[in-house]
Formats: sequence, C-alpha cells, structure tokens
Amino acid sequence: MMLAVVSAALVFTGCKDDSGDGNTTPTPTQTGNVKVVQNISSNTTWTKDKVYELAGRVTVLSGATLTIEAGTVIKGQAGTGANATALLIARGGKIMAEGTESLPIIFTSVADEITPADVAAGNFASPNLDPDINGLWGGVIILGKAPISASNSSGDISEVQIEGIPTSDPNGLYGGSDPADNSGVFKYVSIRHGGTNIGSGNEINGLTLGGVGSGTTIENIEIVANQDDGVEWFGGTVNVKNVVVWNCNDDGIDTDQAWAGTLDNVVVITVAGHSFELDGPEGSAKAGHTIKNGSIICSTADRQCEDIINVDDNSIVNLENLYFTALKDGQKINRVTAAEVTFTGIKINVPAADLANYVNGAVPAGVTAGTGGFATLSAFNWTWASKAGAMSGI
Amino acid sequence: MKQYILSLALIFTISVNLFAQNGTIRGIVIDDETGETIMGASIFLPQVEGVGTISDLDGSFSLSVKPGKYTLNISFTGLSTLTMTDVAVVAGETNVLGELRLKESSDVLVEVVVSATAKRNTESAILTLKRKSAVVMDGISSSLIREIGDNNAVEAAKRITGVTVEGGKYVYVRGLGDRYSKTTLNDMEIPGLDPDKNSIQMDLFPTSLVDNITVVKTFSADKPADFSGGLLNLEIKSFPDKKVFEYSAGIGINPSMHFNNDYLTYQGGGLDFLGFDNGTRALPEGASGSNIPTPISGASPDQVNAFVNSFDPNLGAQQKMSFMDFSFNVSMGNQIDLKNKINSKLGYVFSLAYKNETRYYDDVIYGEYQRYQDPERYDLRYATVQNGQLGENGVLVGAMAGVAYKTTRSKHRLNLIHLQSGEKKAGQFWIDNDGEAVGQSGYIGFSNNLEYNQRSLTNLLLNGSYYLNDDKLEIDWRIAPTYSNGTDPDIRRTAFTYTAVDTNFNAGAAGNPTRIWRNLSEVNLPVKVDFTRKATLFNRDAEWKAGVSNIYKMRDYRILSYDVQFFGNQPNWAEPDPDIVLDPEQIYPNGRIYYSSGNADPNPNEYQSSSNNTALYVSGEFKPNTLLKAVVGLRAENFTQWHTGRDQRYASGDVVNGRSLDNEVVLESFNLFPSVNLIYSVTRLQNLRASYSRTIARPSFKELSFAQILDPITNRIFNGSLFTYSDWDGKLQVTNIDNLDLRWELFNEDGEMVSVSAFYKNFTNPIELVRIPEQQTSTEYQPRNVGNGQLYGLELEFRKDLDFISEKLKNFNLSGNFTFVESFIDMTDLEFNSRVNFEKKGQTIVNRRSMAGQSPYVLNGGIAYKDEEKGISGGLFYNVKGPTLQIVGVGLFPDIYTIPFHSLNFNMNKKLGKEQGTGLSIGISNLLMDRVESMFRSYEAGDQPFNSIAPGMSFSIGISHKI
Repeated sequence: MMLAVVSAALVFTGCKDDSGDGNTTPTPTQTGNVKVVQNISSNTTWTKDKVYELAGRVTVLSGATLTIEAGTVIKGQAGTGANATALLIARGGKIMAEGTESLPIIFTSVADEITPADVAAGNFASPNLDPDINGLWGGVIILGKAPISASNSSGDISEVQIEGIPTSDPNGLYGGSDPADNSGVFKYVSIRHGGTNIGSGNEINGLTLGGVGSGTTIENIEIVANQDDGVEWFGGTVNVKNVVVWNCNDDGIDTDQAWAGTLDNVVVITVAGHSFELDGPEGSAKAGHTIKNGSIICSTADRQCEDIINVDDNSIVNLENLYFTALKDGQKINRVTAAEVTFTGIKINVPAADLANYVNGAVPAGVTAGTGGFATLSAFNWTWASKAGAMSGI
Repeated sequence: MKQYILSLALIFTISVNLFAQNGTIRGIVIDDETGETIMGASIFLPQVEGVGTISDLDGSFSLSVKPGKYTLNISFTGLSTLTMTDVAVVAGETNVLGELRLKESSDVLVEVVVSATAKRNTESAILTLKRKSAVVMDGISSSLIREIGDNNAVEAAKRITGVTVEGGKYVYVRGLGDRYSKTTLNDMEIPGLDPDKNSIQMDLFPTSLVDNITVVKTFSADKPADFSGGLLNLEIKSFPDKKVFEYSAGIGINPSMHFNNDYLTYQGGGLDFLGFDNGTRALPEGASGSNIPTPISGASPDQVNAFVNSFDPNLGAQQKMSFMDFSFNVSMGNQIDLKNKINSKLGYVFSLAYKNETRYYDDVIYGEYQRYQDPERYDLRYATVQNGQLGENGVLVGAMAGVAYKTTRSKHRLNLIHLQSGEKKAGQFWIDNDGEAVGQSGYIGFSNNLEYNQRSLTNLLLNGSYYLNDDKLEIDWRIAPTYSNGTDPDIRRTAFTYTAVDTNFNAGAAGNPTRIWRNLSEVNLPVKVDFTRKATLFNRDAEWKAGVSNIYKMRDYRILSYDVQFFGNQPNWAEPDPDIVLDPEQIYPNGRIYYSSGNADPNPNEYQSSSNNTALYVSGEFKPNTLLKAVVGLRAENFTQWHTGRDQRYASGDVVNGRSLDNEVVLESFNLFPSVNLIYSVTRLQNLRASYSRTIARPSFKELSFAQILDPITNRIFNGSLFTYSDWDGKLQVTNIDNLDLRWELFNEDGEMVSVSAFYKNFTNPIELVRIPEQQTSTEYQPRNVGNGQLYGLELEFRKDLDFISEKLKNFNLSGNFTFVESFIDMTDLEFNSRVNFEKKGQTIVNRRSMAGQSPYVLNGGIAYKDEEKGISGGLFYNVKGPTLQIVGVGLFPDIYTIPFHSLNFNMNKKLGKEQGTGLSIGISNLLMDRVESMFRSYEAGDQPFNSIAPGMSFSIGISHKI
C-alpha cells in the first residue's frame, strides 16, 4: 500500500513539473517527505519515522481506517481555493490517531521545519514558524453519521455538504441517524497554521466535526493559528475534552446544527473572531450542548477577540464555569436573552461596577465579575501554547 | 481578387470624373404578388435608342444616361409592364427609384403607368414577403428603416412585432429567452461578444449599412435547428443604392448617473478609452507558474517582495465626476457600374462606430434569502445582503468593411468586421451576513470591487452566389470564420470585516483580498452551401432546396486567482483603506503580506472545448392547389462536443478518484428535424397558417464543463454540469423541442394587419439553472436537465393606422404584440419532495411549475407617428415581460424570478435640409423610472431582492448628416 502511494506520488510530481510557464521561481528542496495525493480506500498506517505530506484533499473513504502513530508529523502543501490541502475523514471512514502527552501527533504546513525527531525529543514548538502564522494549508475534517439539525432540501436529518469542501466532492457530505457512530480516536493532536480559504465565508477550520457520533473519542486537542475557527461542530453527538485554541483568526469554539455533546476543559487564547460562537438548530430537530470548565484570554498586546460569547436567539447551550480575562472595551456576551441558553458560574475579570458594559442586555444571574480560571491547565502541559507561556494569567 | 481590389482603388480616385457627365437611375424590380425580387426583367428607355438593361440576381438594375427627364419601361414575362414617367436624371447624381412592383398580368391589366414624382403608397416588399411566406416571419427593410430614421440596428429591430431586445443585445421572441432564440449575421452563425449568448451586438451596425432584419418564428429545414422562439438575421448591405457618406454623433444624459461626483471608477490603462487594456492589468510575470514565490515556497524574501510588488497596489474604488454618454459613427459606401460588362457592379461599404457609455447605480442590492423551516413562518430571512454603489464605463468600437462584385448572374462578397469592447467597473458594497441564517457565520463587511472586461471579435464573411441553367438553379456558398477573445484581467475584491472592536481581513467572514484573471478565446468556422432549384409541381411554380453545412467551434478558457495572506498577525487596520493594503511597509518581509495561489496544477478551472455540427437538408416549396402553399423539409444535424478538463479532485492530485477528460466526447447527438409549413390564402389578404417542426437546444461549452466560475461581486458560483451530485448524474442532455403553430392573419394594402396565433411546444429534457442544495454557505448554481416541459401560447398582433378615427390622425399608427404563455415542467421527485418539505401552512405543492426562462406574458405596444413630407417620425413604445422564473430554488432556497420591467420609451426623428440629408433625433428611455430587479419568491412571503438596480431615465440627442 505504502509503495503504491509513494509511486503514485512520484508519477504525479513528474506530471507537475512539465506544465509551468517557464518561471524561474525556486522550488522547495527535496524533503524526503512521503507525499500523499490519493484518497485512502483501504486500511493504512502512517508511522512516526516519516513526515507525511498532504498534496491535496486526502480523504479516508468509507470502510477504510487511517492509523497514525504517536509522534507522527503530517504537513499540508500550500494552496487556497480549489488548491487547498486537507485530511478528510468521510462518513464511514475511521481515523485512529492516538498521540500521547510525550509523543503528540502534529498537523502543520510544509513550511514548518519540525521533524519527528523534534517531537521525539520533546520539542513540540515549530523551530521556524511563529505561532500566529495561519492559512498555510487546510485542516482536519472528521465527518460522521450522527444526527444533525440542518434544514435542507430533503428534510431535517439529511446530509449536508461540509463547509470548506467544494460541493463537487461528495465525500464532503455528513449527517445521518446513528448517534453512536464511531469515527475513531483523535487524541493528543496539535493542528497548526492552517485554515486556508475556499472562497469568502467558506474556509477550513482547524478541526471540523460534522455529524460525529458519540462512539468517537476526541480529547487533548490543540489548534494554533488557524485562519478560520479553532474547532467547529456541525451537529453530531461526540463529547470532547481538553481543547486549547490559540491565535486563530476567526472564532475559537464554534457550534452549529444542534451539536448534542459536551466540551469539558477548554482554553481559548486571543482568537480574532468570537471566543465562543454558538448557533442554534437549523432544522426542526432540537438538541443542545454543554460547554464547561474553561478559561479564556480575550486580548493580548496585538490581538483581541470580538464577542466573548455570541449565541443565536434559538441556540440551546448550557455554559458552566467559564472564566474570561484581559477584556477590552466593546467585548461582550451577546444576546443573553436567548431562551434556551443558560449561564452558570460565568466569571468575567472586570470591576463589578463595569460588568454591565460587557453584557449586551440585562446581566444574567449566572454572570459575575471576578477572577480565577476554571480550566485544568495541567492537561495542557504538552501543548505549544502552554510551553510558550501563552496560558499565563488564567 | 487582386483585380477587384485594384479596381476598387482606382474607382475611389477616378469615379467622379468618369461618370460626371452622366446621371444614374437605379431600382429594384419586385413581384407584386410575392414580394420577391425579379431577376432578368427588362428595363429600357423608349426615348433613347439602344439604352436598356436587365435586372440582376438581386432584382436591381442601374442605368447611366445623360441628364434629362425620362420614361422607364419595366417588363417581365407573365407580368404587366410598368411604365414610369418623369424620371429625372441629374449629372453626377443617382436617382434611386426604390422598389418597383410588377403586378400580375390580366386581360384588363397589361400596363401600369405611374409618375416617378407621385407619392406612392404601396407596402414594402418585406411586408409582402411576410404575407406570402410559408414560414411565419417578419422583418424590416432598409427602405422602411430609412423612412423612420433609426440610427442603429437595435432601434430598427425593436420595431419588428414580437421582438424584445434587452440591453441592446439580447433578443427575446414570444417571451422565450436567449436559450431558445438565436441571431445570425448574413445568415451565418457568429458568436456574440458574450460568447455564452446566442446574440450579436446589434447596436454597432449603423442602419445605413443594414439591408434588412428578419425574424422567423417557425423553423424550416434550411435554417439552423437550434432555435425555437425566433431566429433573427441581420443582413449587411453590399451594394448601397447610391454613394453614401454619413457621419453622426450623439450624446446621452442620465441625470442620476452623469456629471455625478459620487461616480466610482479606478485608475486603469491609457487605452481604456479605445476598449482595450494597454497591459496595465496584465498577469504579473511568473504568476501562472505552479510555484509562485511565497515565504514558504523556497523563494528568497526579496523574490517574494518583488513578486507582490508586481501586482497593481490600487485596490480601492475612487470617486470621480462621471461624464455623459457619447458616440460617433462614420459610414460610407457606393456601387459602381463597371463599363466592361452589362450589370457588372462593384459595391463597397465601410463603417466605424464608437460608443462610450457611463452608468452609475447608487442603490445596488444583491441579496441571498432563505425560507424558514417553520411551516407557519412565511417571510424570508436574509443570509447576506449587499448594498452599495456601482460605476461602469463601457467603450465599444466597431469597424466594418465590405466589398462585393456582381454580374447579372453571379455575386461575390467579402465582409470584415471587428468589434472591440472594454468595460470598467468599480463598486463599493456594505455586506451584511446574518449568522442566524443556515450555513452562515455572521459578519459585517465593506468591499471594494474593481473589474475590467475586455472583449473582441473579428469576423470574415466570404460569399458567392450563382445562377445557372437558365436561372433555374441557384448556388450560394458562405464561409464566415470568427475569432473572439474575452478577458477579465485583474478583477480585484478587497473586503474588510468590521467587528465591534476592530477592522480586519477575516477569511471566515468577508474574506481576504483576492484578485482574478479570466481568459477566453474562441474560434468559430461555419461553412455552408445551398442549392435552390426552380421547378414545376402540380403545374405550378415550385422550388427545391438542398444544402450542406458544417460549423466547427473551439474554445480555450482559464481562470487564475490569488489571495492575500499574512505571514503572522495582521497589522491593525485603523484606517480601513484598501489602497494602503499593498503599501511597501506591509509587503513581506517588511510587513506580512504575500500572495498565495488559488490555482492547482493542472488547473480545474481551465478547459478546452470544441464542437462540430454537420448538417444536411432538403426541402420543397410547392402549391398543391392555387390557394395552398407548402414548405416541407427535413434537416439532419450530427453534433459532437469534446471537452478537455478535470475536476478539483483530479487537479489536487487524486488521479484515481478524480476525473479528467482529455478531448473526450461529452455530447453526441444525431437528430432529424422535420418541418412542415402550410399557408392557405383565404383571400388575397387573408391567410391561415399551420406548421409543425422539431428543433433542438444544446448546452453551451461553459455548461458542459468542470468550470466553477465565481462572480466576484456577488460571490455567486456557476458550476459546470459535469460535476455529479447525489441528485445529478453529470450528464447534461440536449433539449428536443416539438413546435406546433396555427395562425390566422388579415392584411390590407396599407400595411395594416391583425393576426392571432396559437402555438404549442413540447420540451424533452429542458435545461435550467438550479440552486445546488447541498451547498449552504456559498450560493452555487448548476445547469441541469429538469423534468419535461410544455407550453401553450396565444399571440395577438396588430398594426392599425388611426385615420379611421379622424383624418388628422392619419400619420399615426398603433401597433402591438401580446403573447400569453402557459408553460409547465413536470418536476423531478427530488425537486417535488424538496418543495413539500418546505410546504407552508395553507399551501398545496403540486408537482408542476412554470418553465425557467419562459415569461407568462409579453406585451409590446406603441403609437408611432410618421410624416414623410415633413420628415418627422417618432413614437412612444411600451414593453413588459411577465415575472419569469430565473433560477430554480430548492427547499431552503426560494425560487428567483425576474420581475417585470415596465419599459416606456419615446423617440423622435426630424430630417432637415432640402435633400433631408441631415437628421436630428431625440429619445427618452425608461420614462417610468422602473428598476431592473430579480426577486426571491415564496408562498405568502413578500418578495426579497436577488438583484436590484435603478437604470434611471435617460435622454439622448443625436445628429447625422449624409453627403
């Protein structure tokens, strides 16, 4: 299998070179990376002794499992629009990416000089890219058959095309009727420098979860400098824990289409969009989610988020024990009037007298001024954000 | 050929001297009964011994005689002789007698005598042809155009009943849109400046060089089979009646658009005023390569910097006072009688037209709306609404030159046309995206859009026709290659996202700054030969026709796009000015900006398509009895279309699952097109007609491709049909159409008429533009075959002089064409189910709806005034099309309808000078100040805008002078 992938890659690069326009721009030096250009249709393992280079939108097809060993480095080639690179787990496909605290799996750009040896040596930070460089490749998209609340042509629970994948690719469909659907395991994974756009308003999140079922394990995830959102859920039932989103250029945590699960222990650091963008159901199927135990840094010297929490009128969310700090004027909890959004133990680090300035509407009982984070930071010791000191103050 | 050119050159210099002592008489001999021209009629001057001629293959004759007053005798076997008295000849001048009609000979009528100075009141030949032709046709001839005084072919074509010309270009006949209508030039296919439309840019042809414009509404075998609504043909004059040198100029003022300080434009190139880019917008060197310099491409920082610097840093629209519309036109032409041979004539025409038009829309709306799923929630909610201003400046240059040579029985012509147009657009829009709408993230943005669209077309016509075998056989061949090119160099869109706390570029919201280059080139090569043989059948005149034609087309298309990216944090855009984005301090490595490529290699947005259509036909026109005429024919067309292109999967490297076509056949169809046209003369001036035909509509190159074409302003995406979806197999089929027409018509000698038609059309596999339901974030469409369609129509047409009310109104006439159409499509199950899922309370969804592109009614009406003696003509004309389904909505996404545009226009022409050689014209368009709009429509919901612009009212003044 591996041989086939490599040889196909060679054929492909061979084709590539003869169709330029004679420009003299230098090409990257040979890296020895394993180029992956084709969809994965049978069980495949990526091992930690190599760097895997995504040369396009690589899809793990239904029925196939992609196993990624702890400590493996995966790099996406550059490109935007139709040219964007991404790893897509289609409905019925499975990802078994089980990193560990000492050997995480790193998804990054080909421009990143990080090697499996660096990872093995405990150096998880990029040796050459700053943690605010985004849009160098796409991202990771996991799609499942769990219910979504989408209103589409064929009714409520039908499939929908995931954001970021052109509609011409049928592998981008997600949603179904199996709440216990299992898309595999995704643990100790750091996704960096991605989020390239397809068109305006249509780009790739660091980690996109479309209709992912509760049989799936997703925990200990770090998203660094994604051009779009950090993690976005489109329906589904998966529970997720220990997530840090750092320096993303749109929202930190984004939920849509009635995701019915829990996010436990979350850190969001200076995203450029809303720290939490929590939308309601789009179809008639109603379900809600819980986000609890989080610490959020709303600004640094050169970055700040928009709303600290933004919900829709029809959102269904329980927000518990979230701490927001480093606020600036204009940053607010938006639409606290939404009937099915509950605020419990929401703490904002501003003087009590000024609290009303940070809430759009009457301050709900569960929102108070105060200090002290809720996230369990020890769970994030392995992350680049933690090692870079970005979590200080929470 | 060399000889012709040589003699042409000579004639330019010596013709005046050569013929100065003589004057010329010219005319065209017409069969009064049929309206057809008569070849071989004898023309002689009884007063002058030995001077005479015969009419040539166009029925025209030319006599050169000494100055004086003459009597002219025109005769032809079986017809009564026409004697025309008082024909004045002045030295060096040409007396154009126009159409001279020979009536049927009978015992009481052997000779008709008329005076050349008397006012003649006969219908023009084209009206007779219309009355007698077996196919349903209509038209306007050069003599009528001359009387009315229209300036260009569009103005003239609008006077043909049942024809709507939109935007000066797009022809609608009976409310059937561009897909089912077609225009030809000199009977040959010519791509429009917009190659995806079946229309030619008619406003570039000055009427002084138009011989006639005809519209046929029923198919006959000698016509191309791919029309169903109407076929409009524009015939260019080869032999002007007399020496003409005409120049004209016009201005147009729209008070809301012109001399407006808010007008938006941008710094273009120095040759924009001539309709082409001087290289200012050229793709930077190296940008089309597969590995452009970026901070991570391996290029040095200096190389990245130089590369970004090679792009034009101007990204913002600027306000500048707009100028008015203006135009110039020069045309000349003549025919010269060559001495060597009888009826040997050389004709030449030349014209140069220039138009400069400026539009400013200060209230443009582009909307995307959705339904609520709640069955009791009827209103529509917006996903995105863009509101802003758009400035457009269009330049159009048209040059035409033609030379022709004929003898009595042969004619050759060569005609060369070049059209060039450039349109510069600059717009600014507020973008409001509602995060609560399905698939939307919610943001406020402000965009600056700069575009330039350049098109050119070069067409060469070579044509020869001959009469052989005692004039019983006519052979006509034509070759008309066209090269056309259309580019959109450097489309720029720069949209800041506005948040509560700052302003930035957000790829997940209003997007990063982007620029696009598009390029299209196309070659068309139509060739045809027609044979017409006069014969006798049932002891009456008959005519057999046969012909063969071939059309080869080839297109190259490519889109390249580039996005601004930041290598690290964005700067704080305290002043959201698009023109500082590419300031030197922002560009990598000084700043963080670089360009990334949106172009895979190979490029999925690049294709080569070609098609070949070989046609063969036979038809016969005969009279089974004295009152019934029939045209029966059969045409066969063998059509093949090839495509070279690939989908995104393949382009991004997946050569196994991706699809790539390498000059593969994507459409192959061999079809037979039978046609029967019958005309029964109830009386001489009253007809009953019936016709049946089978025609076809084929997908265009763009429709049968993998292209995904983004409209940079609206962000809407067109998808080629080759992409498959769960409910679409990617196999776009041709549309077969059965047409049935019945018509009653009554004429009188003054050109008044009334007619009633009923028609029926059956469409197998019609193609419509469908919203792709899976894509919720961006708005994407795809042409697809939908269920079969049918339509029933009723058409009422009349033209009536108003002298029956009062003698004072004798110069007024009223004309109108009202078409009512009931069309329906049987929905696919998918479409039906999707509609049922969004059925509102109180609504009953049925599995039928009207056809896309078919208007339920078209009303054309006008009151015209014409006083030939005073040289005044004018009129008030109204036109409206009913609400027409434009894009088929699915489920969440409502249908989009084109909303009726009530167009009321006034024009008036006055001829001045003793020869009436100077013309003055004024016009007012859009008197009702209506808006041009498309709307989302849903059950019990208020209409919401898809597109909305206000063209305002405009005033034009033109002056022309003929020497």
